[in-house]
Amino acid sequence: MTPDTPEGTPSPGQPAVKARRFSVSLVWIVPIVAVLIGISLVVNNLMGQGPTIEVVFKTGQGLEANKTAVKYRNVVIGQVTTVDLSEDQKSVTATIKLVKQAENFTRTDSKFWVERARIGASGISGIDTLLSGDFIGADAGQAKERSKNFIGLETPPPITYGEPGKRFILHTDDLGSLGVGSPVYYRKIPVGQVVSYGLEADGNRVKLEVFVHAPNDAFVTENTRFWNVSGVDLNVGADGFNLRTESLSAMLVGGIAFRAPDYSPEDQPAEQDKNFELFDNRQTALAPPSGKAQYLQLRFDQSLRGLKVGAPVEFLGIEFGRVVSINLDFDVQQRIFPVIVGIVVYPQRLGQAHTKMLKVLNHDPDDEKSAVRMINTFVDNGLRAQARSGNLLTGQLYISLDFYPKAEKVAFDAEARPVRIPTIPGSLQQLQEQFQALVEKVNALPIDRIANNLDRNLVELHKGLQQVNTKTLPGVQGTLQELSKTLQSANSTLADDSPQREKISQTMDELNRMSRSLRELSDYLSRHPESLLLGRPKGASADSPSP
Amino acid sequence: MANTASLIICEHCDSVYHKVELAKHQKALCQRCGAVLQRYNGLNIQQRLALSVTAAVFWIFANFYPVMSISLKGLHNSATLWDSVLALSTGPITFIAGVAAISIIIAPLFQLVLLIWVLCFALASKRSPAFKTCMRWLETLRPWSMLEVCLLGAMVAVFKLAGLLDVLPGIGLIALAILSLLIIRIAGRDIRDLWDTLP
Repeated sequence: MTPDTPEGTPSPGQPAVKARRFSVSLVWIVPIVAVLIGISLVVNNLMGQGPTIEVVFKTGQGLEANKTAVKYRNVVIGQVTTVDLSEDQKSVTATIKLVKQAENFTRTDSKFWVERARIGASGISGIDTLLSGDFIGADAGQAKERSKNFIGLETPPPITYGEPGKRFILHTDDLGSLGVGSPVYYRKIPVGQVVSYGLEADGNRVKLEVFVHAPNDAFVTENTRFWNVSGVDLNVGADGFNLRTESLSAMLVGGIAFRAPDYSPEDQPAEQDKNFELFDNRQTALAPPSGKAQYLQLRFDQSLRGLKVGAPVEFLGIEFGRVVSINLDFDVQQRIFPVIVGIVVYPQRLGQAHTKMLKVLNHDPDDEKSAVRMINTFVDNGLRAQARSGNLLTGQLYISLDFYPKAEKVAFDAEARPVRIPTIPGSLQQLQEQFQALVEKVNALPIDRIANNLDRNLVELHKGLQQVNTKTLPGVQGTLQELSKTLQSANSTLADDSPQREKISQTMDELNRMSRSLRELSDYLSRHPESLLLGRPKGASADSPSP
Repeated sequence: MANTASLIICEHCDSVYHKVELAKHQKALCQRCGAVLQRYNGLNIQQRLALSVTAAVFWIFANFYPVMSISLKGLHNSATLWDSVLALSTGPITFIAGVAAISIIIAPLFQLVLLIWVLCFALASKRSPAFKTCMRWLETLRPWSMLEVCLLGAMVAVFKLAGLLDVLPGIGLIALAILSLLIIRIAGRDIRDLWDTLP
C-alpha cells in the first residue's frame, strides 16, 4: 500500500521484470545425452581394453594386422594390431591387443603359437584355418608374474587348456626316437603323450616332460617305472635273442610305457612334476631298485674274448651288476698281460638276501670299510669271480661270482681301492685246459714206432697170404674138382632112367609077387593046416577058402 | 533499393509475396503454383545449436565406429565409413571414392561446422565473421550432403547380405541414421531466417 497517492486510493505497482541473462533451453539435454552416450562408449571401450602384449615369432606367415585373431578355446580374446620386423631382422614381433577378460594370458608362462593346418604323426589339425585364415592360439599360464613380451611357439603345445591330468619329468641318457607327441602307454593303452624334451643344464642327460591324462594319471605311482618302447627292441646278449615291440605306432613315432612293479606295497599316486628315470627297456625298468653301486675290479690271466662292456654280473645266478670296463694290463713281475675287468654291482638287487644280511651282520650300507670287510669274509669263504660262457651260439661271456670252497686261498688286500676279488679261470677255459692235457698225452704216444711195427706185420701178413694164394689154393681147386666128379657119378647112378634104378625096380616087383604068394600060402595053411602033412585035398581050389 | 526484407519469392514460379508469421502446424503456399513458401519453424536458435552439437557428436560416432561387420565361417570383417572410402579408392573407380568422401563425410562435416559457427554468434544476436560466405556455403553444400543416400545404401547392403553372411549392424549405422535425420532438420532451407533475425 502506498499512502502517498494523491487520490488516496491505493493502486497496484509494477513489479520489476528481470530478464534472465542466459536462458538455457531444455533442448540442450539432447546434445548432453549424445555426449554422455559418446563418453560411455569410449569409457566402455577403454574399460574393455585388455593388456597389450608383444609376441615374437620366427616368421609373420599368416599374421595380418587388425585381422588375425587371438583365440582361446575358439573364442576370440584379442587381435593382432601390428606386425613388425624386429630390429635385428631375425624375427617378427606381433603386437596383440587382448580383451579385458584375457588378463590371465599375460602370465609369464602363457603360450602363444600360430594355428595353421598341420599334418603330423599324430594326425591332421587346424583344417578350419584353411578357410578362416591362420590365427594365434593362446594358453593361459599359472605363474604369478606378468609379462608383456612373449616368445611364440613354432608348434602348438600338445596339451592345452588346463586339461585334467598330470605332468611328469623323465630323465634319460638319450632321446632315442621319441618326440613331442609320442604316446605314453599303460598296459598298451595310450594314456598320455610326450609334451616336451630338452637337454639338462649340464648337457649330459635328456629331460622329457610327459603328460598323462586324467583319470589314468592315478596309475602313475611313486614306484612306477617308465621305459622306452620305441621301435623294435632286439637284444642279442648273454641270455640269447630278445625281440619286443609295443605297437605299430610306437614303432614309427616312438613311445613310452610305464608300470609299477607287480609287488608294490603302500604305493601312492605320484605328485605332479615328479621326477622319474626313463629306462631303456622293460627288463631294466622293472628290475628291483638298484640301490648303491659298488665298484669292484677283477684280474683275469686269460683272454676274455666275448666279454663286453655291459655284460651281466651274476651272483649265484642272480644278475646284480654289469661290466663297466675291460682293460689290458701288464704285470711287471710275471711279464704277462692280465685283463683287468671293472664291474659295478648293486647289492640291493639281491633283495631279501641283502636286507637280511645287513640286519644279521649289523652292517651299514654307507660304511665302505665294513663293506670291504664283508667282501673279505666272502673271499675267505671261497668267493671267486669267473668269466663264464653264457651263450655258446654267440660266444658271449658274463661274470659270475660264486663260492668255490676248494679254491686256493688268496690273500685279500683290504686296503686296495678299488676292491679286488680274486678270479679263477672260466669254465670254458678249464675245459680247454683239460682238452689240451688230453691232446698232450696223445701227442706223447710213440705213434711212429707203432706205425712201423704195424707196417712190418702187415708185410708179413702179405707174404703169408701170397703163399696161400700160390701154393695152397691150386691143390684145393683139384680136390674140389675130384669132389665134383664123384658127385656127378653119384648123381648119374641115382638118375630116373639109369639101369641100376631099373634093376632095383624089377627086383622090387619080384619081391612084391613073392610076398603075395607067400601070403596065399600062409592063408591056405591056416585053413587047411593038415595039408602040411596030407597035401592038398582034391577039388579044393587054392582060392576057395570054404572048408 | 527498396526494402525487400519482408518479401518472399516462390522458388518455382517467381511470384512475390509478403512474409507472414506462421503459428504451429501452419505453412504458407504459393497461390499460383501451390508450392510451399514457408513452414512454421519450430526451432529457435538455441535449439538449433543444441541439435547441431548433437549432430556433430553423432558424426564422430558414425565415422569412428564400424557401420557394419560381416562374418563368414570365421572370416571376419568390419568397416567404418572411412574404410569404405578407402576400399573404393583402391578399386578401379578412384574418382567415385572422392565423390563418396565428399558426400558422406566432408559435406556433412562442413555443414555442421558452419552451422555451429554461425549459430554460436547468432545466440548472442551477432553476425559471425564471414557470415555471408558461411550462409552461402551452407546453401551450396546442402545438395552435396547425401548421408541419407549412404544410409539407404548401407541398409540395403545389410538386408541383402543377411541371407549369405552373418551381418551385424554396428554403432556407426545407428549414428548415421540419427545424423542424417538431424541434418535434414537443422540444415534445411529455413536457416535463411537468420538473414532476417540477424541485422
